[in-house]
Amino acid sequence: MGRAARPRDPPSLPLMIKPALSLLLCGLVFLAGCGRAPEAARDAGGGGKRLTVALLPKSKGNAYFISCRAGAEKAARALGVELLFDGPTDTDPAKQNEIIENWITLGVDVIAAACENREGISTALRKAQARGIKVITYDADALPDARAFFVNQATPEGIGHTLMDEAARLTNAEGEFAVILSTLTASNMQEWLKHIRARLAEKYPKMKLVAVRPCDDQKDKAQAEATTLMSAHPNLRLLMNICSPAVPGAAEAVKQAGKAGQVKVIGLGLPNENRRYVKDGVTDSVILWKTEDLGALTVEAAVALARGALQPGATTFRTAAGASYEVKGDQILLGQPFIFNRANIDQFNF
Amino acid sequence: MKAWPRELSVGLALAALLAALAAFAPGFFAPQPLLSLAAREAPVLLVACGAAMVIVCRQIDISSGSQFAVVSVVAGLLAAEGWPPAAVATAALALGTALGALNGFLVAGLGLPSIVVTLATMVTWREGLRWWRQGAFVNLPDGLQWLGLGQTAGQWTLLATALALLTLLALAARHLAAGRHLYAVGSDAEAARLAGIRPGAVTFGAFTAAGALTALAALMNVIQSPQVDPKSGTGLELKAIAAVVVGGVAIAGGRGRLAGVLLGLLLLATVGPALTHLRIEAHWEKAIQGAIILLAVAAEGARRRPA
Repeated sequence: MGRAARPRDPPSLPLMIKPALSLLLCGLVFLAGCGRAPEAARDAGGGGKRLTVALLPKSKGNAYFISCRAGAEKAARALGVELLFDGPTDTDPAKQNEIIENWITLGVDVIAAACENREGISTALRKAQARGIKVITYDADALPDARAFFVNQATPEGIGHTLMDEAARLTNAEGEFAVILSTLTASNMQEWLKHIRARLAEKYPKMKLVAVRPCDDQKDKAQAEATTLMSAHPNLRLLMNICSPAVPGAAEAVKQAGKAGQVKVIGLGLPNENRRYVKDGVTDSVILWKTEDLGALTVEAAVALARGALQPGATTFRTAAGASYEVKGDQILLGQPFIFNRANIDQFNF
Repeated sequence: MKAWPRELSVGLALAALLAALAAFAPGFFAPQPLLSLAAREAPVLLVACGAAMVIVCRQIDISSGSQFAVVSVVAGLLAAEGWPPAAVATAALALGTALGALNGFLVAGLGLPSIVVTLATMVTWREGLRWWRQGAFVNLPDGLQWLGLGQTAGQWTLLATALALLTLLALAARHLAAGRHLYAVGSDAEAARLAGIRPGAVTFGAFTAAGALTALAALMNVIQSPQVDPKSGTGLELKAIAAVVVGGVAIAGGRGRLAGVLLGLLLLATVGPALTHLRIEAHWEKAIQGAIILLAVAAEGARRRPA
């Protein structure tokens, strides 16, 4: 495995410094106020060396991944492990591979990657595995043989059902609604729509999906589509927007048509893009997952994998903090999506 | 009769579509949503006017969508910084003019093919914007929307501005020397040169004017909502070129009227909403628009052959 040759082990470090370092780190953790100093001390002191987890975002400037990082850092502090966070400035698959190569040279213990290019990154991840580095993916998967687990933030079924259930809740499960999506051909859109339709057929007989319109993933086009949908279907009760630019686009159309409250707006999106409409009462619910939780679960799983606590074939994953997550095959499921609304949106900034 | 064949056929197609809507989905004509849709197309009209000038000049500009996005984002950021609207507008127009002038310089000054030049600038501006902004929306300050005019007055103003500019440009094309030079260069650059026209200067002018029009269009779009989507304008160049071609402007240059461009845009822009109103699946929208464009190009080909 070549573990002995990995340059991460600092052989030149005098033995006396390590306890001192541990103490210092305990102090820092304690000062950080997370209240887990004893655990951190056990990990850092007892194990001898601190585990290093390297977290790779699709792009490091993106608010979504910055929020993932915040959760990851909290988990890393709690677990007493070191967290590296680096990624391309822009979404750049080649740069992702470069960073992984650097981490292989550096000899990190675990790499957790959100993959921009599924095939492209897999070669680099396999190489890391061959050098004894544990690999997991989160947010966007690599090829299955290039990683041990994928931390899956949301299944298509979970997304479809949450959207449909939320639409039903807001309309008392009655009346017409329409869907705005990115394009009619995008595979994720088709997958979500399939689960939306299935849930509709199964549970809500008094609701009717009257139109499905594409917005080419643009807010302005979504606004025009929503305007037309409302005039073509005067009894429309709700606009369900399943690509993120469509949510504020539809909300602006509803606001301009003076139909706030009368036509509900929900969708998959980011809190920051929808904040003003949620606060104005135009948009009722924005559905996504808690990105901080995704970052935290990724680090928890990475550490458990490195320590042998998480093995292939597991059906549940219990974090050090005591939370339990379902494991389906080689995917760790974050669980049901989260609903951002007027009551809670101010707690989130991404 | 022979002078207006294309405008007439496009006008008839549009009239037929509107008649079908009046018969089967009169809800289409509800004033408020219709005004909103028209206001949303007003910026597209200006971009199409720019595209028409470039195409009449026997060139093509496929970078206008990217210019639109760059100007929108920059204008949004300046407004968010607290710049007064007039300063934002001046800066945005200067930027758009500069982007257009760059295309013009590369094509007319260096003699590079416009399809390659504008493909390069299209990709560069779009990807540069992605790299710079990471897809983040720009939140505009309160009060910028509709420039404080209120929604209905704001929408009418946008519509009136676009139509007034279209009229002015159409008149300029007919009656100003610069307008006639555009057609002369597009018909036969060599003959134009022998007649004392500088084809390079005319081409440069067309690209620069297109950039300025695109910038104005971007501003007219930005003020319609409280946020700027950095992906805005994606595919706008094709929408504009399609309107130009359907409107009867010869893709080989030298011929065409802005009145036709207006009709072409109205026809293409009505298809989508019409399908929604007629309860027809969205799958058909791009197919029908494609068929309209194909018909227009085929008609153009048929017209050129016998001559």
